[in-house]
Amino acid sequence: MLELQRNVIFGQFVYTGSFVHRMDARVKIAATVVFIVASFLVDSFLGFAVLLPLLVAIVLVSRIPLGYVLRGSRLFIAFLVFILIFQVLFYPGDVPESDYFWHWGILSISREGLYTAGIIAARVILLYYVTTMLMLTTSLVDLTNGLELILGPLQRLRVPVNELVLVFVIAIKFVPVFIEEMERLARAQTARGVPFDEGGAITRARRLGRLLVPIFISGFARADTLTVAMNTRSYRGGMGRTKLRQMHASLSDWLILALVIAWTIAAWMA
Amino acid sequence: MQSDGQPPILELRNFSHTYLEGTPRASEGVRNISFRIQPGERVGIVGATRSGKSTVVDSFVHLLRLKPGQVFYRGEDVAVPGYDRARLRREVGIVFQQPESQIIEAVVGADVAFGPTAAGLSAAETRERVEESLNTLGLPYPEYRLRYVHALSGGQRRRVAIAGVLAMHTPVLVLDEPMAGLDPRGRRELLDLLIRLQKDRDLTLVVCSASLTDASLLCDRFIVLDRGSVVMDGPAREVLRDADRLAELDITLPEPVVGAREMQKLFPDFPTDLLTEDELESELLKRLGVA
Repeated sequence: MLELQRNVIFGQFVYTGSFVHRMDARVKIAATVVFIVASFLVDSFLGFAVLLPLLVAIVLVSRIPLGYVLRGSRLFIAFLVFILIFQVLFYPGDVPESDYFWHWGILSISREGLYTAGIIAARVILLYYVTTMLMLTTSLVDLTNGLELILGPLQRLRVPVNELVLVFVIAIKFVPVFIEEMERLARAQTARGVPFDEGGAITRARRLGRLLVPIFISGFARADTLTVAMNTRSYRGGMGRTKLRQMHASLSDWLILALVIAWTIAAWMA
Repeated sequence: MQSDGQPPILELRNFSHTYLEGTPRASEGVRNISFRIQPGERVGIVGATRSGKSTVVDSFVHLLRLKPGQVFYRGEDVAVPGYDRARLRREVGIVFQQPESQIIEAVVGADVAFGPTAAGLSAAETRERVEESLNTLGLPYPEYRLRYVHALSGGQRRRVAIAGVLAMHTPVLVLDEPMAGLDPRGRRELLDLLIRLQKDRDLTLVVCSASLTDASLLCDRFIVLDRGSVVMDGPAREVLRDADRLAELDITLPEPVVGAREMQKLFPDFPTDLLTEDELESELLKRLGVA
């Protein structure tokens, strides 16, 4: 029956002990940022095609099954397709008459509309993929420490780096927690006769709406518990805090970062 | 235990289940569990945390990705395509560990009415069921009908959850850790209520718990689980006889049994299959009389 965790893997961490998992978190975060920048700059299918082998290499080296990643992105992809249909139909560009495949009122399917939608899809998928891979291969602690170290210099400008990073990491890592919670709620309500496991896509989606209020309530309760737990352990932000484990980027980490930068520049030029 | 040719009301046959099977996050819930529960039986499913109790409970009403040939209700395989799951869920009532999760509506009366309405009962019948269920659980209907669920205490919310299931008049009632989070008085009341209900309605009762304290007062048969497998299955007294093994499995023993185990330091052959304090007392007096 309902195993939502299969279909939404965003924010999960799966340890396989691979090279990618053992890489310095700062390098992984930096490489992710490079990819994110690339997703804005690259504007041809050829460019994305150049990036593809590198992206596939990441998942292969991480030893996380490709099927798991793809299955776990199903809902996201479905959502994306839904949005792109509108993007194509309502494409506003100034298109010569010969480039229309179909036209009716403000609705149209044009070569240019399809192309733009395709590029947007590639960009969003790239963004989603690199952030998902970062989280699949980096533990909560490493992610927090890595971000804090990278953003550390901003502390001199009185930016509350520690707090910001904490909020960011908690937000992301709570996604799987809520997914699990939804699954539990859906099970309990199914047992009472709300059939979450039956009916078409739209009926199912409408039933999920029933879970919104209880999810919000449990979200607030969780946030409250977390706050109390942090206070009782005397959390006071990053001030005067030191780390037991120092991070060390090795030569191979730097080489990989250099490779990612060079590769993305090549994709941009393509 | 085996009765005259009638199919068991619930049956698991070599039931195995792995959560998120085929993914890197797969975790085994239960392995090769088999047992039969006959109509009218009162069974305690006992085991420490992660022993597989909740997986077994979820399997009863098909809340997991089940493979055919493993779970049967009244002799019918619940996992074959086309099986009427809605009917199954109207006949097997489950009270989950966290009662909040199964409360659907915001107002007490509406929530208890949810099941009967969904089952197609008339408004008058539904009202009658709601009134009856709430009164049975010590939440007087006129007073609680319009209260908001989130404004109730934890114990009261559990009662609302139970009322919602009772209102369905299910032949099978399954309770997962029903006593968790209740104070001693709440426990006693719930215990009395369950004993009464079981008799009045001829329920098949399944109680899951990590503690034998309450289960021993409600059930006359125990199925003991450990790390996803059945390790003991038999009449309550028979299972209690092996108290040392139960303690090893991290199962909380009933107080008379705890007392009996202490007594074994004085009388090595002191029996542990005691269900009540009275039995412990008379057994002790017998020994003292002899000594």
